[in-house]
Amino acid sequence: MSAPLLHRDPSHDHHDHGVVAPGRGPGRGPRRASRTPLLVVGGAVALLLLVVRLASPALGPGLLPDVAQDFVTLTISVIVESMPFVLLGIVLSIIVQVWLPQAFFTSWLPRQPLLRRAVISFLGMFLPVCECGNVPLARGLVLKGFTVSESMTFLLAAPILNPITIITTHQAFGWSDGILVARLLGGFLIANLIGWLYSRHPDPESLLTKSFAAECALPTDHAHGGGRLRESVELFRREMSTMMPALFIGAAIAGGIQTAVPRSVLVTLGSNPVWSVLAMMVLAFVISLCSNVDAFFVLPFATTFMPGGIAAFLVFGPIIDVKMLALLRTTYRPKVLAQLTLVVALTSAAIGLVVNFFA
Amino acid sequence: MLLTLVVGVSTLWLAATGQLILYIHPRYVVFTVIMIAIGMVLSLGVLALVPARDDHDHEHEAPGEAPAGPRRPRRRRRGRAGLRGAAVTVGALVTVGIAVALVVLPPATLTSATAGQRDVNSSTASLNGTTVADAEAGDADAYKSFSVLDWAGLLRQTSDLAFFEGKTADVVGFVVPAGDDPDTFYVSRFVVTCCAVDAQPVGVPVQLDDWQSQLQADEWVDVSGGFRANQSSASTDPVALVPDSLEKVGQPSDPYLY
Repeated sequence: MSAPLLHRDPSHDHHDHGVVAPGRGPGRGPRRASRTPLLVVGGAVALLLLVVRLASPALGPGLLPDVAQDFVTLTISVIVESMPFVLLGIVLSIIVQVWLPQAFFTSWLPRQPLLRRAVISFLGMFLPVCECGNVPLARGLVLKGFTVSESMTFLLAAPILNPITIITTHQAFGWSDGILVARLLGGFLIANLIGWLYSRHPDPESLLTKSFAAECALPTDHAHGGGRLRESVELFRREMSTMMPALFIGAAIAGGIQTAVPRSVLVTLGSNPVWSVLAMMVLAFVISLCSNVDAFFVLPFATTFMPGGIAAFLVFGPIIDVKMLALLRTTYRPKVLAQLTLVVALTSAAIGLVVNFFA
Repeated sequence: MLLTLVVGVSTLWLAATGQLILYIHPRYVVFTVIMIAIGMVLSLGVLALVPARDDHDHEHEAPGEAPAGPRRPRRRRRGRAGLRGAAVTVGALVTVGIAVALVVLPPATLTSATAGQRDVNSSTASLNGTTVADAEAGDADAYKSFSVLDWAGLLRQTSDLAFFEGKTADVVGFVVPAGDDPDTFYVSRFVVTCCAVDAQPVGVPVQLDDWQSQLQADEWVDVSGGFRANQSSASTDPVALVPDSLEKVGQPSDPYLY
């Protein structure tokens, strides 16, 4: 974990005593002569984890008070559910960065920025990853030559404009109340609006976190010898060590809010045209569901809440929620995230209110 | 990397012992296992291949450490560093805590605390079950296989006692208190769409006078009986199950409904 990372580095140092060779700590230690001990140590750690895990059922149930146990269960479920998508995103990101030819994207994308961003909005159709998997993929695209604003357009559009989300949303709602249309149009609109806003920023590099900007500043073809396989693996290590703490913390916050706040509070606001939109947006923010299936989750609420609230949920949720903010924090500065949240929230609310007006 | 191993080992163990469905919907199990396996292989690659690149990484660190943003005055930096330090410590503690929980704590289902907090039957998840029309078309035997979800849905759609006349329900669920009512409780299950975080509780009200002397919240029971008008004055449900038989059972291996 010696690559420049966000401020969570010390947590890695706590963890890595067992796994990482001493030379890879914050200081400049001696270079390890042979790589076999690390593999052995890593294998031993994995084995130790497995042994602990196998022995743990002996602890029996009822260790924690109910509420604490539920918090743990909820947090773990978010992690377990998101992990495969994050991994998929990283795998795709590695493919994009290491295995695709350099000019793969630059050659056929239109030159005109507005059109270019519009096309990028649909990239998600070919790279269907859940919203959390999009973050490592977007990072890879930036490293491959996308501008910062283009990466944001992709990040915001891909969770909504992809085949899986479209299919599941249609399965849940069909064409009723214009919810599917509102979701697709809203997603496209917001993605391009944000992309356009940030393309006018005079210094795009300053939007990125220090550590990610430094990554971008690295020359792309080192003479590393050992080739693509090694580079892939190195990328994997770097992305995982950035994403994992963010995922854990985002999941913990999502779990914590769900344990602490009664859902009935939100449900009582359902039938008011304005409050239904706001309440559903808050719910979307807190519940941090993957965009592939959030349509099924919100379907039961469709009878309690007005359609504008549902539409706002489906537009706001895939873009901004607790888990996503934690993941985005690895790449964009907090100020940018705050601005993003504000603009997306206002636009989603507007879309929801419009749908309610026509409902 | 350690966090990856923690999640990987725990998830694979959960899948191997059939407990992954305590956290996520069954449709994701195959995808999850495949991706985690790929992740573990890549982690193996990291352990096997990366160390020889130490020198390169240190070279790259040098340009990385130089601040990419504008320089800030020293004093502000120190104050920010203090706040950052606190945030980092909290973040680290939370991450370590969850990592420990992933490996050490036995997997669990959501408890009645969450069911109470989410208000049993408050969302219309119960409408995912059988509709009244479908139910009437079915024969008497079909009712035996109805779950808590199906009955909760039917109770939601109609409180017409004539519909429930002569029908016997046989359901398994865990006990959730119905507010302060000492004579009614809900036999409940959670309905899951994607993962435990979206679980909605659904339940069938059971009328059993002074049930708290026999049962505790979160106990799993198998209740069988017919439906009558609810005698309990404190309850909000007009129709309730009056048990002919009630036995305690162990938690089933697939506690959630879909």
